[in-house]
Amino acid sequence: MYRKQVRRRRAVLTLLIIGSFLLLTITYGQSSGGLQRGVSTIFSPLQTVADRALKPARDLVGWFDKTFDARGENSRLKAELVKTRRQAVAGQEALQENAQLRKLVKLDRNPVLAESAYEPVSGRVIARSPTVWHSAVTIDAGSDDGVRVDDPVISGDGLVGLIASAQGGSAQVTLITDHASAVSAKVLPGGVQGVIRPEVGDPEDLILDFIDSTKDVHGGQAVVTSGWRAQGYASLFPPGLPVGEVTSASIVEQEASQQVHLRPYADLANLDIVQVLTGGSRQ
Amino acid sequence: MIVTPKIFARLAAIAVIAVLLQLSFFSRVELLHTSADILPLVVVALGLLGGSMTGAVAGFWIGFLVDCLLIAPLGGSSLVLLSAGYLAGLFRERFEIHSSLLPPLLCMVLTLFAELGFAAVQLMLGVDAPVSTLIVRDMLLKSIYAFFLAWPIYYGLRRVLRPALVEESRVTRRQPTVLGA
Repeated sequence: MYRKQVRRRRAVLTLLIIGSFLLLTITYGQSSGGLQRGVSTIFSPLQTVADRALKPARDLVGWFDKTFDARGENSRLKAELVKTRRQAVAGQEALQENAQLRKLVKLDRNPVLAESAYEPVSGRVIARSPTVWHSAVTIDAGSDDGVRVDDPVISGDGLVGLIASAQGGSAQVTLITDHASAVSAKVLPGGVQGVIRPEVGDPEDLILDFIDSTKDVHGGQAVVTSGWRAQGYASLFPPGLPVGEVTSASIVEQEASQQVHLRPYADLANLDIVQVLTGGSRQ
Repeated sequence: MIVTPKIFARLAAIAVIAVLLQLSFFSRVELLHTSADILPLVVVALGLLGGSMTGAVAGFWIGFLVDCLLIAPLGGSSLVLLSAGYLAGLFRERFEIHSSLLPPLLCMVLTLFAELGFAAVQLMLGVDAPVSTLIVRDMLLKSIYAFFLAWPIYYGLRRVLRPALVEESRVTRRQPTVLGA
């Protein structure tokens, strides 16, 4: 009886392991399958409800995290903050949303976007990947809203990523911090061109790679998307979208590795409302 | 674990709620710039409560659901989580859990194992970008968070699955009254 149980247990385990490897082999490197899109469509309303319901709790934890970071403040202010915590948590949600929407409206008026054929569609982040290896978020705007695969995604602060998959009411965004991401960009002023790649595990550090080592790049310079177009091919990102600011640009690293480090403008760890620039391919 | 249709429904509900909680809450709140990962924790807790088969099957399907919702390559998370669940179940089948500190400690160790597993799978599939050393800090913090989150999650799940647990039903069964004692 015991032996039979052990045999059955081993058989199930082997089956599950083989199943996992089979799934990996079949789906790796492929675009999203019908099964994944179906499951995502079914769970999208649930994710939206969970996102809305858990927002106050997230804000509360976020408040604690920010308070921990700001431990240099004096004790009187801290005591005052604790007293007003409950009020702040309730009001914070509305304030954050307001600020983000204001920024987005301002970004709409960006001459780069105003002159292009892109139509911005706003969406709210409803889910986020649990590991840093796969840096992605799910938003509550999908193909029903005109969102298509490869549409660029921005926040009020700058570039966020690219649409990896879109279903009826939701879409998955691959962030610029994902290991598979690469964005052609240029440094302003000067126009030094390069490709932005992430450093996996550190979402606050991006690398502008393959730059011209003979040209000088220094800390504090802005980096925007270059939006190239050549021989029938074009960048997925429109030109002039703000991406980040150069933080570290040592001469040794520039000459030896042809790269500088930058910090993204967008707060990728705390994304809430984003905008998808739809209709780019119709340009 | 005695898996009746009712218990199966509870297990499915636990898996769905855990995945939704992870994607909508835990992944989006950070403490010390690291978010907690409760999925290995839930799988390990199910393995400790239900044995190796329950742990492995729960790990496989929870991983599958996460990969589906994130449109990630299917199978990667399943492979890691089923291994964690199986190991937790195997521990439960081989050893007695005497101390209340043991489940949280096991959750911590196996969460670290799962994080290393995710890294291994990702490296196996190929990473096109340089990897920061901060990833080690991320893994360690995740496992420390797992230790603290294991208390409510493990004991909460034990409460939810109590009717199916062999030991629990044996303990709660009413002892026969001995006449004349």
